[in-house]
Amino acid sequence: MRAATRPIDSFRYLSPASARIVKTMIAMASRDPVPWTPLPRPLGEATVALISTAGLSMLADPPFDAEGERQNPWWGDPSYRIIPRTATEADIVASHLHIETAYLQQDLDVALPLRRLAEAEAEGRIGRVAPSHYSFMGYLLDPAEFLDHSVPAMIERMRAEEVDAAIFVPV
Amino acid sequence: MEAAGIATVALSMIPDLTAAAGAPRVAAIEFPFGRPFGQPNDAAMQGAVLRATLDALRDAAMPGTVVHLPFEWPESPAEVQWHPKEPSPIIQLLARDPSLFQRLAAGDIPPEASRRNLERKP
Repeated sequence: MRAATRPIDSFRYLSPASARIVKTMIAMASRDPVPWTPLPRPLGEATVALISTAGLSMLADPPFDAEGERQNPWWGDPSYRIIPRTATEADIVASHLHIETAYLQQDLDVALPLRRLAEAEAEGRIGRVAPSHYSFMGYLLDPAEFLDHSVPAMIERMRAEEVDAAIFVPV
Repeated sequence: MEAAGIATVALSMIPDLTAAAGAPRVAAIEFPFGRPFGQPNDAAMQGAVLRATLDALRDAAMPGTVVHLPFEWPESPAEVQWHPKEPSPIIQLLARDPSLFQRLAAGDIPPEASRRNLERKP
């Protein structure tokens, strides 16, 4: 375990060039008030969903458009995919071109811990694992289309499944 | 999402950016990209990181809370392999034309970012 007093270094694994771009993104981030909703019910009764930026899709669904990104490197696929709670690494494809995806394809729980979340449900730490979980492509220099279309659609499904809390997992 | 009544927590490896982007609750972790919950087949670590993230969700009392998780990655940054074997398209493009890096580092996102296909110049 690391010393609990040492803060996390956001730039530990970034090259100097990538760190510079991230620092620009931090400087340009909006200063709007941070949104806040209290957990609607105790965690032990709450329905929880996972959201991964790893560009995961089910084998039966169309994968994210990596070819479109290869043709236009500034662009990222702004769509989203639903990953059912029973999915494992045997059921998914990862289309993220900016990380080594071999690890999560070997064991999905390194990025989308559906088995660990099911254990938390069995232990009573959470009330219920949501039926649906979500993935999108984290590489989106212009997220407008994602925010306008994909986010409302994901929220609508979460509400229909009475989701109380979501764990957002950038990769 | 918060406005829709869904409480969120982000497990972030770049918490400075996630917090700046307005995430209400951040569980910060110093793990390499691609493996936020730990190594493949390390169920004990994955479970511990998930439980710590759930604790941050449960215990955060105010917007903008960042909890620094105590987990240590077993490899040094020099040993960690998180980059894809083939560099991403944008990295390849920036390597071909370094002037584009200056543009990106200045926060100038070209309009091509919002269209799937590049416009052909006449």
